[in-house]
Amino acid sequence: MMRLVYIFVFLMSTLSFAQNETLFERANDLYNAGNYTEALDKYTSILDSGEHSAALYFNMANAHYKLNHIAPSIYYYEKALLLKPNDKDIKNNIAFARNMTIDDIDTLPEVGFSRLIKNATNVLSFDNWAKLSVGLVAGFVLLFLVYYFSRRTAKKRFAFITSVSCLVLAFIAVAFAFHKYELVDRDQPAIVFAQEAQIKSEPNLRSSESFKLHEGTKVQVLDTVKNWKRIKLSDGKTGWVLNDDIRMLKAF
Amino acid sequence: MKVLKHITLFLIILASSMAFAQVKFEAKVSKQKLGINERLRIDFIMNKDGDNFNPPDFANFTVVGGPNTSVSNSWLNGQHSYTKTYSYFIAPTKKGRLTINQASIEIEGQIYKTQVVNVDITNAVKRPNDPDNVEGVASESIHLVAEVSKTDPYLNEAITVVYKLYVSATTGVSNWREIDNPRYNDFWSQKIDTKGLKIENGKYKGEDYRYVVLRKTILYPQKSGKLEIEPLTLDITVEVPTNRRNIFGGRHMAEVNRTVSAGSRIINVKPLPEEGKPADFTGAVGDFKFNVITSKSELNASESLQARVEVTGQGNLNLFQLPKLTVPSSLEVYEPEHNENIRANLGGMQGSISDNYTIVPQYKGKYPIPSISFSYFDLETETYKRISSGEIVIDVIEGPINTSSGDDNLATTDTNKKEVTLNNDQFAFVKTEAKLKPIASENFFKSVGFWSSLLLPLLAIPLAMVYRKKTEERNADVFGNRIRKADKLARRYLSEAKKALGHKEAFYVALEKAFHNYLKAKLHIETTDFSKEKIEDTLLKREVNEATVTEFISILEHCELARYTPITNVEMQQDYDKAASTISIIDKEIR
Repeated sequence: MMRLVYIFVFLMSTLSFAQNETLFERANDLYNAGNYTEALDKYTSILDSGEHSAALYFNMANAHYKLNHIAPSIYYYEKALLLKPNDKDIKNNIAFARNMTIDDIDTLPEVGFSRLIKNATNVLSFDNWAKLSVGLVAGFVLLFLVYYFSRRTAKKRFAFITSVSCLVLAFIAVAFAFHKYELVDRDQPAIVFAQEAQIKSEPNLRSSESFKLHEGTKVQVLDTVKNWKRIKLSDGKTGWVLNDDIRMLKAF
Repeated sequence: MKVLKHITLFLIILASSMAFAQVKFEAKVSKQKLGINERLRIDFIMNKDGDNFNPPDFANFTVVGGPNTSVSNSWLNGQHSYTKTYSYFIAPTKKGRLTINQASIEIEGQIYKTQVVNVDITNAVKRPNDPDNVEGVASESIHLVAEVSKTDPYLNEAITVVYKLYVSATTGVSNWREIDNPRYNDFWSQKIDTKGLKIENGKYKGEDYRYVVLRKTILYPQKSGKLEIEPLTLDITVEVPTNRRNIFGGRHMAEVNRTVSAGSRIINVKPLPEEGKPADFTGAVGDFKFNVITSKSELNASESLQARVEVTGQGNLNLFQLPKLTVPSSLEVYEPEHNENIRANLGGMQGSISDNYTIVPQYKGKYPIPSISFSYFDLETETYKRISSGEIVIDVIEGPINTSSGDDNLATTDTNKKEVTLNNDQFAFVKTEAKLKPIASENFFKSVGFWSSLLLPLLAIPLAMVYRKKTEERNADVFGNRIRKADKLARRYLSEAKKALGHKEAFYVALEKAFHNYLKAKLHIETTDFSKEKIEDTLLKREVNEATVTEFISILEHCELARYTPITNVEMQQDYDKAASTISIIDKEIR
């Protein structure tokens, strides 16, 4: 009986997935015909069914761009980039969308060793670092056994050196996985959705206004106090903004 | 005695007054009691001509006219009388009992003094002096009036002040000049030029008058509360008809200088209501239209376009700020050019003000200019109104693409983003392959699977070590090895027999078969030539001990025999053990 239920559920789920594929195609057709609002409805319904992909977010962002929605288009492009950080189409179109934003914020460049580490860390995702470390550990064990059981000196020496280097690399890979995980965990980007958001110096309405941000600007969320979020700009400015004025990118 | 003293004193005074009776010098005032707005004439009269007339200081009075000197000589019935008079017109400056001090003169070497005169000054009387007084007539027939259009305006609501000079039909004005100009503190003022003076007929307090409008001013109160408009003061030369006539019988006109003042007015300025005041309200009060106009909506990069932010209408046009245009940062915008086209009339200021922005797009793309709003206070409905411009999209068709990635390097994970090279400079079309996957995904990192697959392989190393140690131990133990080997052989060949232990027939068949199998495997003897002699021969050839061979043969024979003889389980076990040990010995000795 239970087995039947499982089969049924499985069939249903594949059915809904197949439905989403056709929905996606129909939404694309609507987009091509210029019915951006209807296309957006379809894309959103796919999202509501619990599935996503970089392509889906990219298409949603495109539709929003065509409708001149500044913040949503940037928001969905950024989401697409989170899933596929090196997609050329997404990078191309987000440049178009960023042209629409009002704020011009300088970026503080990172220099030296920390940048080197960061670049190295960003080569793989933390899951891939984890997989690499597992592979390296397995390699180490195999080679060590070869070293342990083989009798010829040359073979033994070679096996020992490679196994030890595998072990060292495995440790490095685990360290990178942890570092990357921490980076991802700490990286809490958000997009300003309010047309003009007041950034306060303290998390209350009485405090003085530090500066203003406009729709579509990307910020980093550092801290949350009740319905206020502490944000940081790429040029290092910080301040407090109301929850409703921004939307977190990682809230999938 | 006392009486006598009094009488002599009286006589002396009498005699002295008799002696002085010949010269008289006295002061006479026209009235003993007068209002503060009236004038007084004081005459200093003498009956002999004198020198060095010294008038009093007239403290608390102002000298309006004088001194006028008049001399009269008359002969009456042979008697000569002479009077010389110095007369002054004076006006009191304060109320109460005032004193006019002594005047002095020198007559025939002798100094004479007048008495001190006291005058009572009362409150202002309604009609100063008599109708024949030129000054009085002048003040009666000339009026300067300030007309204020509204005495309770809102802050920044336009009010007008019109100054009118009323002149009665009988008098004339030959000249006027302003003495005191109102400065209109706390007001923003704009003077409306009046071309020439037009004389019109009107009524003032129910009487016919002629009037001229001297000046019109628009005022915008800049402060709420009670504000004072300072008076306008004019010095007017008035022509007043007198009772005297000239030789043609026409009335003689006397010219009098008069100072007239419009009087100060209090304006009660209401503050704008706080309720519903929009955040972007900058103080515009009136009736306005608001527009944002761009000269083009489609253009190429590095061409320029004009965006005009314009407010037209009626109200305090130059007293508020135009809302600023905010544009995407990737557009180049120059400082706006401010234009004003304002006319002022009695209704207030009218016209338009505008800011002209020059915008030069640098990159291809769409640039929405956000809607900007303008708020003002509408005086008719007494509410705030807000006009939004609506969003304008500038489409830049041709041009380079913006590759500087503004704020994106913020994300700590995306540092490699800078090396973005765009495949082409077109806006990419949607992606056609969905590649959907469930949103709720689990991370491999830090999961149980990760830790176990990372650490479990490491366990293989100690296991291998233990294994190797065990095998070495085994190799070292010779006796044990032999036993183990025998066991192994027995297990391999005698497993069938072992299963059949207890069943005589089956056991011995299996045992015999096991021997045959063993020999087949070890000595490659075919089943066909399976005779005892052949077996013995072959085994001996392979350097197997003779005793062992005999043992082997004996077991084989026993197998054949046992099928037909009663055999106990114990014997069967013995035979099995024997077979096992024999096989293992052969196996060891065989070459």
